[in-house]
Amino acid sequence: MESSTLVWLLVIPLIAAAAALLARFVGRFARMALEVIHLLSVTAVLVLVLVVAWQVLEWSEVAAWHSWLRVDAMGALFVIIVGLLSFLAGIYSIGYTRHELETGGLDLTRLTTYYALFHFFFFTMLLAVTSNNIIIMWVAIEATTLSSAFLVGMYGTRPALEAAWKYVVICTVGVAFGLYGTILVYSDAVNVVKEIGNASLWSEIVKDAALLDPTLLKLAFVFVLIGFGTKAGVFPMYSWLPDTYSEAPSPVSAMLSGVLVNCTLFVVIRFSIIVNLALGAAFTQILFLVFGVLSLGTAVFFMLVQKDINRLLAYSSPENIGLILVALGLGGPLGVLAGLLQLLNHSLVKSMMFFLSGNIMMKYRSRSMDVVKGLMQAAPVTSVFMLGGVFALVGVPPFNIFFSKFMIVSAGIATGHLWLMIACLLLLMLAFVALFRMLSSVVLGDKPDSIPKGETGVTTLVPIVILMVLVLWLGISMPAPLSTLLNGAAAVVSSGLPAAQASSAIGFGR
Amino acid sequence: MLNANIINTLSGLLLLTSLLVIETRKPRQSAILYSFQSLILVMIFIALAMLMGAPQLYLWAGSAFLTKAILVPLILYRALSKVDETTTSMATVSTPVMIILAALAVVISFTVVSQIELKSAAEFIPALAISVAHFFFGQLCIVTQRNIFKQILGFCLMENGSHLTLALLAYRAPELVEIGIATDAVFAVIILVLLAGQIYRRLHTLDAAELNVLKG
Repeated sequence: MESSTLVWLLVIPLIAAAAALLARFVGRFARMALEVIHLLSVTAVLVLVLVVAWQVLEWSEVAAWHSWLRVDAMGALFVIIVGLLSFLAGIYSIGYTRHELETGGLDLTRLTTYYALFHFFFFTMLLAVTSNNIIIMWVAIEATTLSSAFLVGMYGTRPALEAAWKYVVICTVGVAFGLYGTILVYSDAVNVVKEIGNASLWSEIVKDAALLDPTLLKLAFVFVLIGFGTKAGVFPMYSWLPDTYSEAPSPVSAMLSGVLVNCTLFVVIRFSIIVNLALGAAFTQILFLVFGVLSLGTAVFFMLVQKDINRLLAYSSPENIGLILVALGLGGPLGVLAGLLQLLNHSLVKSMMFFLSGNIMMKYRSRSMDVVKGLMQAAPVTSVFMLGGVFALVGVPPFNIFFSKFMIVSAGIATGHLWLMIACLLLLMLAFVALFRMLSSVVLGDKPDSIPKGETGVTTLVPIVILMVLVLWLGISMPAPLSTLLNGAAAVVSSGLPAAQASSAIGFGR
Repeated sequence: MLNANIINTLSGLLLLTSLLVIETRKPRQSAILYSFQSLILVMIFIALAMLMGAPQLYLWAGSAFLTKAILVPLILYRALSKVDETTTSMATVSTPVMIILAALAVVISFTVVSQIELKSAAEFIPALAISVAHFFFGQLCIVTQRNIFKQILGFCLMENGSHLTLALLAYRAPELVEIGIATDAVFAVIILVLLAGQIYRRLHTLDAAELNVLKG
């Protein structure tokens, strides 16, 4: 079904980015103007995202611009993640940047840059998950790196610049591999699809995927996994991740870890569907399992030795991405569903954790576990959410991640991977230890005398409260529309069928 | 006569200029050499356009000429004239080692490319292999060079490699796609140059090995 909603979804953040650049000319009202533009944009996009999700539930897919943009159930899931979490990071940004303005961390010029880039970055992520053109997907992912580079290096300090440099260099090199994978698939599709003009459209390639050259596809998928995997925090190229997440402003870290990572995984999954249709699922599954276990298995050891709260949280990303890949590698309807649910749950919790660490940063001006002590005394509300956040992240019931981890283990046992699941659980125990060590160090103890008592303000707490409500809600019950979308998304991923047929196969959509 | 040999020969020349870009001592000279290399790429695009009867490749040639032979080298040259190039040592490997690594990259590329069967590019297999090797050359440059501007040039080389692959395999893709990729490439250079400038002003060095505060 054609819908202009998708076009507006992309146009609004672009307009906001341009407007933010102009806002500096309104003199002493510049900050207010920036915040108004910013809020209007993130709110409008959130509304549109919900409209798109609703349209997908009604029609099973929406498209625009001659199907260059297309959202099916899988796309809708990712669009929701991007829209919702960017909205919350947007709210959080207001309190955070005001604080940074007051304390001299940012000035008005940098603030303008911040909001303009925020919205351009937002646009590129939305483009990545709504694009149906595989080459434009690549263009969008590359553009996410470029648009977020200065967000990462926003503070202009030595470590921030170093982090930004490593981030751009490693990610552009990695993603360039992804371009090779993309070109290989495209150049093969040219010989296969009925209309050459459509050879770059994902929805057209899947229709004739069975005719694609198997050797070429294998090579292409390895390129795709390594390339986009670099950006998603997949082993072995995740070394940039802790540097970037720790030096970027907290709302940016929340978006990088909770949103951007998913956009790159989205592209990997899209390609895996094509490969599965041509070769059967075994090839991608074994790669997912190997890279998943390696990511999980190496990241937890880095977690154990961290002294910096943000770096610890950053290493927890490859741990969780690894787990998601393991779930996708297990395959079957349950494995895929569990993987997608873990992806959603991790995004919510990880963004919340970076908001919390942002609050800590604002109070203590430090992320070191040696400095941050007595959070319970300094900011009781933040510390209670910190407690809940860590419980959620390690997967304690009734929080949402418990549910998805439980599903992954069930899927593993059901597919005969008992020993692998035991190994994964043992590795997860290490993550558990690392996170609880951080929690006890930060929350308990006496606060330093120089730190005043009190919370960091409403706009930096509300997003955390909203996320906590969602995290608990999804842990206890699954809202019916979301469940339908998740099942639809899992059907698209695992059955390999084009969305419409996959949906009807499980009685969803029209 | 115009035939596939010309494309393959020009592609070979591309590799040669690439080595020069990497091994030249002064980054400013590298920027000029890079511009020269981009001209060869433009010639390849024109030859391909004539040979394959693909008029859209003339457009690619035009945009590559503007962005890669003029704009990007100019940006790099101007930025480099504002910095002290002596604030960093050269590469982490010597020239002979670099040449061995480059040869290895060529061998690997030819092996990989000869494995795949592509009806659309059968007669350009050598050029295709060279484009992939060129991509690896760019990465070698990034990994082995300590001067951050040389690393940016490494990115440019890498990008020229993938651009050639794209021209050989995906010249029929819609124009908007090529525009998107080219825009990304230009902005990547601009952003890297701006970042490098900030790093130089803050750290007073161009040495990537000095970027070592973040660990663990």
